[in-house]
Amino acid sequence: MPASKRRSTLLVACVLAVGVSFVIVPDLPAEDALSVYTVNYPLKYFAERIAGDHASVAFPAPAEGDPAYWMPDEEAIAGYQSADIVLLNGAGYAHWVGKVALSQFRLVDTSAALRDTLIEIADTTTHSHGPTGEHSHEGTLAFTTWLDPALAAQQAAAVGEALARKRPVLADEFLANYEALAGELLALDVEIAAIVAGKEERPVVVSHPVYQYFTRRYGLNAASVHWEPDAPPDAAQWREFEELLERHPAGWMVWEGEPVEAAVEMLAAAGVRSLVFDPCGNTPEEGDFLTVMRTNVENLRAAYE
Amino acid sequence: MIDSLYLAWKYVRFNRVKFWTLVACITLVAFLPIALELLLDESEKQLLSRAVTTPLVVGAKGSALDLVMNSLYFGDEVPEIITMEAAQQVADAGLALPIPVYVRFRARGHPIVGTTIDYFGFRGLEVAEGRQIFVLGDCVVGATAAERLGIGVGDGIVSSPETVFDLAGIYPLKMNVVGVLRKSHTSDDLAIFVDLKTAWIMQGLVHGHQDLTKADDRQLILKEEEGNVVGSPKVYEFTEITEENLDAFHFHGDPTTAPITAVIAVPNDEKAGTILRGRYLTPEAIHQIIVPKEVVDGLLSNIFRIKNVLDAVILLVGLATALAMVLVFALSLRLRKREVDTIFKIGCKRATIARLLTAEILIIVASSAVLVGVLAAVIARYDNALVRMLFIR
Amino acid sequence: MISIRALTFRYPTGEFRLNMPEFDVAKSEKVAVIGPSGSGKTTLLNLVAGILTPLSGSIEVGGTGVHALGDTERRDYRITTIGFVFQDFELLDYLDVMDNILLPYRITGALELGSDVRARALDLASEMGISGLVSRHPTELSQGEKQRAAICRALLPRPKLILADEATGNLDPVNKGHILDLLFQSVDHHDATLLAVTHDHELLDRFDRVADFHDFHVWEAP
Repeated sequence: MPASKRRSTLLVACVLAVGVSFVIVPDLPAEDALSVYTVNYPLKYFAERIAGDHASVAFPAPAEGDPAYWMPDEEAIAGYQSADIVLLNGAGYAHWVGKVALSQFRLVDTSAALRDTLIEIADTTTHSHGPTGEHSHEGTLAFTTWLDPALAAQQAAAVGEALARKRPVLADEFLANYEALAGELLALDVEIAAIVAGKEERPVVVSHPVYQYFTRRYGLNAASVHWEPDAPPDAAQWREFEELLERHPAGWMVWEGEPVEAAVEMLAAAGVRSLVFDPCGNTPEEGDFLTVMRTNVENLRAAYE
Repeated sequence: MIDSLYLAWKYVRFNRVKFWTLVACITLVAFLPIALELLLDESEKQLLSRAVTTPLVVGAKGSALDLVMNSLYFGDEVPEIITMEAAQQVADAGLALPIPVYVRFRARGHPIVGTTIDYFGFRGLEVAEGRQIFVLGDCVVGATAAERLGIGVGDGIVSSPETVFDLAGIYPLKMNVVGVLRKSHTSDDLAIFVDLKTAWIMQGLVHGHQDLTKADDRQLILKEEEGNVVGSPKVYEFTEITEENLDAFHFHGDPTTAPITAVIAVPNDEKAGTILRGRYLTPEAIHQIIVPKEVVDGLLSNIFRIKNVLDAVILLVGLATALAMVLVFALSLRLRKREVDTIFKIGCKRATIARLLTAEILIIVASSAVLVGVLAAVIARYDNALVRMLFIR
Repeated sequence: MISIRALTFRYPTGEFRLNMPEFDVAKSEKVAVIGPSGSGKTTLLNLVAGILTPLSGSIEVGGTGVHALGDTERRDYRITTIGFVFQDFELLDYLDVMDNILLPYRITGALELGSDVRARALDLASEMGISGLVSRHPTELSQGEKQRAAICRALLPRPKLILADEATGNLDPVNKGHILDLLFQSVDHHDATLLAVTHDHELLDRFDRVADFHDFHVWEAP
């Protein structure tokens, strides 16, 4: 320190000696960009949109796999530990957060304000033992909150607030960015609502129980199976599906990702067409959150025409 | 003088009891104030340096000293337990970074400090070997603790159950040593650091066990009620956290009610600190906020007051000892009258005996000085531990 | 060796008076001094040794006028010329026999303690038959052994005159004769002169001459 101090003293002296009339006072060095880590891609997208250049946003999960069930490796944990802000999705998403040593006061649960509107998944068995009695484990909430654009906007608001708390001087800028993002999300919402308007009762089947908030938002009549897009259903799954179709005559199956040809053909044979609605929990190969959602919307349009 | 020293040396060797008694007297009288000074110096250094670098501590109302001793120096005395809500309040105020600490459990005599990752940055603690705490069950140990316990990266250490108040919930937990900290010459060197959640596991607030709803062994189930499975006493609580069972750990209850012993509050700036302190002045406040430096200053000023009294006492004892020594030498001179006569007759000045006595005193004083030096070196070597023993426990 | 003329002495307090008109001891002579207690025998030794100073008269020892010496000269004279042998041996308990023998060399700058001195001390000890005891402390010695050690100490600086004050007084009859023999041998061997105060009348015939103190002392009525 003394050395740099001396150097700066010297610098000041030089400047004074040369004469100060043309000295341009440099801008104060900007505060370091905030380091923001997120537990899923949508939050990363929101944070980047709102913070702009004022934060470096990282979401270190590998491109394959569902970050909801991811366990970060040591390098990733070290990254999360060093972050100024760790954006959580909440609603029981990313179980690993509870196992990892992260400072609670850097964590921001973006769905904390939505607690009352979260959807509990039925038929969960609680257990009791020891003195504390009955309790139910976490993870019994549906967690794909961001598929409801209204909830997504609220989460984005929480992101903006967290950023503004760390950098109060930038609050206005963050707010403006948030408003732009929220506008786009709401436009999306309006568009989806228009697509399904009056056709909400049309039965659809979703391949995975991740669309709870989406279907609730638009009052859709969806039933869920538990299929993976990369494998055709086995006999038991197919039998179950046929039974489902009898009481829920759906014309469309909504997939998380591009399904295998075999599954598409089996479904087509049963008169059920396939469409992809990517929940976009992980970083998309192309585009960003909104472009993926717009693609989703276009895909969806076919089912509700 | 060499001959005088030789004779005096022979004399003291022959009169060992007298010699060692005198040496012991001088050593004690000289050592006491030196030891006291050393210890006070060290305690001032140790206590104060730590206190000034810890701006504010929030804890239960009660003994501020206990709170400081526990949260800064990890003393044995556990203050009244508070909850994470206290830390949340600090966070919500937006004036300071809260660093909750839970210093209650021990492992083989060393304090287990449950805290957040922020603690390490705040204290400037660096991992010298291994890595930082990543997951539940991980611990990093202070340099001295690692040395004394003979543990390093890759070893395990089991928390001791002896300070357990609540037998029902507390299990000895095997922690995985993932890192050893660089020596900081503070209490941190003695501690075993875990994530708060790991500390709560020791208390049974976070726990892991087999999934009862998927249990194959029917003996695990006491009864099945509508939507609830009641575990039998056979349900095995994990006492070690491994990669395999990490997922099984879960928190019981509301995390904001989880216990901690204190919150270190690092204010954004001086003004924020003042405002924060003000919030705890209202009569409704259930917690107190203290400035550790003030508490330690108070403690030290008490110690210094005691030291002044002790100094006076030692001065008197020193005087008494000096007089006793004069008496001893006067008597010894009388006892050695024949010797004096003999050497006089042989052809020496009577004053030669004075030289012999001087040499003897020199030997005694030198021996005492060496002893005092050795003892002082011992004190200096262990002053850190002694200060802990005396003031922190 | 000793030549005393018209010597008078009195202690500053007390009534004792010593009056010695003439007293001579030839070189190599071994003279016994006898007389009742308090007759001034020891006083005579102290005067010859220069420990006491006469009121008047002269004492010459080996040509040195002892009566006229200053303090320092007298001490040097004592340590180089006189060897003292005491009734109670006066060995220092805290020194072993060797260190006791070497004591004169350690307490004065007038004598230099070299390796030759140590060798001589050993010779003397073996001459006295105590060479095996030199590392013992006086407390571990018999009376006879102690006096042998004391004689070694007296002889080591090669004194011309040995002053023995009841040197056999604390010894048993067998030892008395033996020690005296040794003392005489040593005196002869070292070509010294012996002036010995003694009460042991049975040993008197071994001396060359006996000086009876009745001849010298004067009692003055109070």
